[in-house]
Amino acid sequence: MREQPNERIATDAIKAWKLTAQLIAIIPLLLTIAAFVVAYFFDFLSYWLGIVLAVFTVLECTITILIIPKLRWRRWRYQIYEQEIYIQHGILIVTRTVVPMIRVQHVDTQQGPILKKYGLATLQISTAATTHEIPALLEAEAADLRDQISELARVEQDDV
Amino acid sequence: MSEPKRLHPAGMIFNIIQAIRQSVFGFLPIVIIAVGNDAWFYVILGASILIGLIILFSVLSWFRYTYQLEEDQIRIEQGILIRKKRTISKHRIQSIDLSQNIIHRIFGLTKVQIETAGSDHRIDAALSAVTMADGKMLHDQLKYKQQAAVVDENEGPAQELNKEVPEKDYPQKKVTPKALIVAGSTSGSFGIILGLFGLAFSELETFIPDRFYNQATEWVFSQAVQVLIAFAIIVLILLWMLGVLQTLIQYWNFTITRYDKELFITRGLLEKKQSTIPLKRIQAVGIKETIIRQPLGLASVYVEIASGEIGQNQDMHTLIFPLMRKKHIPSFLKELLPEYRYQPEGMVKLPTKALPYYMVRTVLIPLIVTIVIAIQFFEFAWIPLIVTLLACIYGYFQFKTTGYLIQDQQLLVQTRTISKDTALVPHKRLQSLQKKQHILHRKQGLATLDTAILNKFVGRHFIVRELRVEDVDHIAEWYSYREKPL
Repeated sequence: MREQPNERIATDAIKAWKLTAQLIAIIPLLLTIAAFVVAYFFDFLSYWLGIVLAVFTVLECTITILIIPKLRWRRWRYQIYEQEIYIQHGILIVTRTVVPMIRVQHVDTQQGPILKKYGLATLQISTAATTHEIPALLEAEAADLRDQISELARVEQDDV
Repeated sequence: MSEPKRLHPAGMIFNIIQAIRQSVFGFLPIVIIAVGNDAWFYVILGASILIGLIILFSVLSWFRYTYQLEEDQIRIEQGILIRKKRTISKHRIQSIDLSQNIIHRIFGLTKVQIETAGSDHRIDAALSAVTMADGKMLHDQLKYKQQAAVVDENEGPAQELNKEVPEKDYPQKKVTPKALIVAGSTSGSFGIILGLFGLAFSELETFIPDRFYNQATEWVFSQAVQVLIAFAIIVLILLWMLGVLQTLIQYWNFTITRYDKELFITRGLLEKKQSTIPLKRIQAVGIKETIIRQPLGLASVYVEIASGEIGQNQDMHTLIFPLMRKKHIPSFLKELLPEYRYQPEGMVKLPTKALPYYMVRTVLIPLIVTIVIAIQFFEFAWIPLIVTLLACIYGYFQFKTTGYLIQDQQLLVQTRTISKDTALVPHKRLQSLQKKQHILHRKQGLATLDTAILNKFVGRHFIVRELRVEDVDHIAEWYSYREKPL
């Protein structure tokens, strides 16, 4: 666990995460607009609330759209060995995970509409007690990995 | 042998009791409303019709429930109109447990619970009442798998071979009544009983006439403080005795035996319980020392099992010994579970630089509360201050307790939530391992370890916070299946 894993996830992951963040950012934006509209038509609300919300929205957008996806991508690394899967992720709290192949119960790939747009898929690795993810791999890569892991995991297992 | 058999007629009693108990809750509101409107006649009429129906259905369902033992499987048929047939193969059966409550004992019966592997309880079966002899027979027939016995057709049935289970001298441990009394007195379960007591009282309160209630409260408040304190102490002692009694009833004659591939436990005074724990399903062995027991050098030993027992105890884990001296645990494990060992000498503790984290985590919230209260009502500030001091002590002890130790293929993790909890986990039971660090950790060379095992629920995580990075890397290396170090 001294060395970080060396495979990176797909570069398009940044785009996908940005798009997700943009979609989420619509909510504070709508609230801000609503606050201004209400303040314009009714007197009982001052413009202050709208201004505070606007500042918050701008901040939220910069952080979640411009900063976080890049950092997140830079931190995300994984490596598949013969005997185990090694994953690193997390921006503030860096987490490195080891999942032995013989503990893997099943492997899934998942794909929502946003990931589909960029031709990506998420790989989910489940052990008997925990679930781990490698987000946003290229579709073909994810499928290959899934098959590879389930092949490797097919080694004679103990009864858990 | 393969004749379909019905359960003992006493099985109907269990059905009836259960059905009545369930329907009482459902119909209670209606009954209360009806009584309020003086419709006594209808209430009695409705109740008798309901009870009549319940009895009829119980008799019918008892009549239609049959079980049948075949070559290497048990077949159960049930259902009044919709017939359900279930066949459980001998090879899938993990354990067969016989348990008896008071009614069973009066009639000399037993309940048979058949448990299969996996978490799907619908595959399991429970025969609610069969005679003791039948229960024993079922147990013996289904329990002992054909041990590589290839039977020729002309050699007679295979059961003959399995009857001869070699009479080996299996290691066994019994709990003494004295130890149980100590266990009961240190269990701290009187808190739970107190809660139940309060709940029952609040329910009963509505039935006590106001006049009487007022008189009683007036009398209580007119007494001297000393009398009230004495009264409270007496109540506490009574509750404590109840706690002792409860432990005695639950764990009376607790006996644990180690067979070749399983642990076998019998216990109970009023209700005799058996449970079988296949060794294959034990994920970890734990040693728990509550605050009351730790200074006395006492601990209880439990196991974490993959997938639960059939709706039995909802406890977190299964006790394999209710109470013993901590110094006896190593020899106890050596005798009954030699796969696990407890030798905590040389445990790696936390570095001093981890202490601030533990202190901040426990003290932060009480401290904030103290400050807020001190600003608002200065004269009451001492109450949260005491809580803060307690939190300080708690944080320090958490820090002192935490540690780990690697012994060949076993990881020992010692942590404290309130009680001190030591877990012994074999390498192959650890499902995954994580190392977590935030920025401060990286500067100070600390890391948090998070590893998980399977248990009855969704899994149990062992989290050891703020170990040295070298220690976490060392554990990761030990854990890793690769040749070259991580």
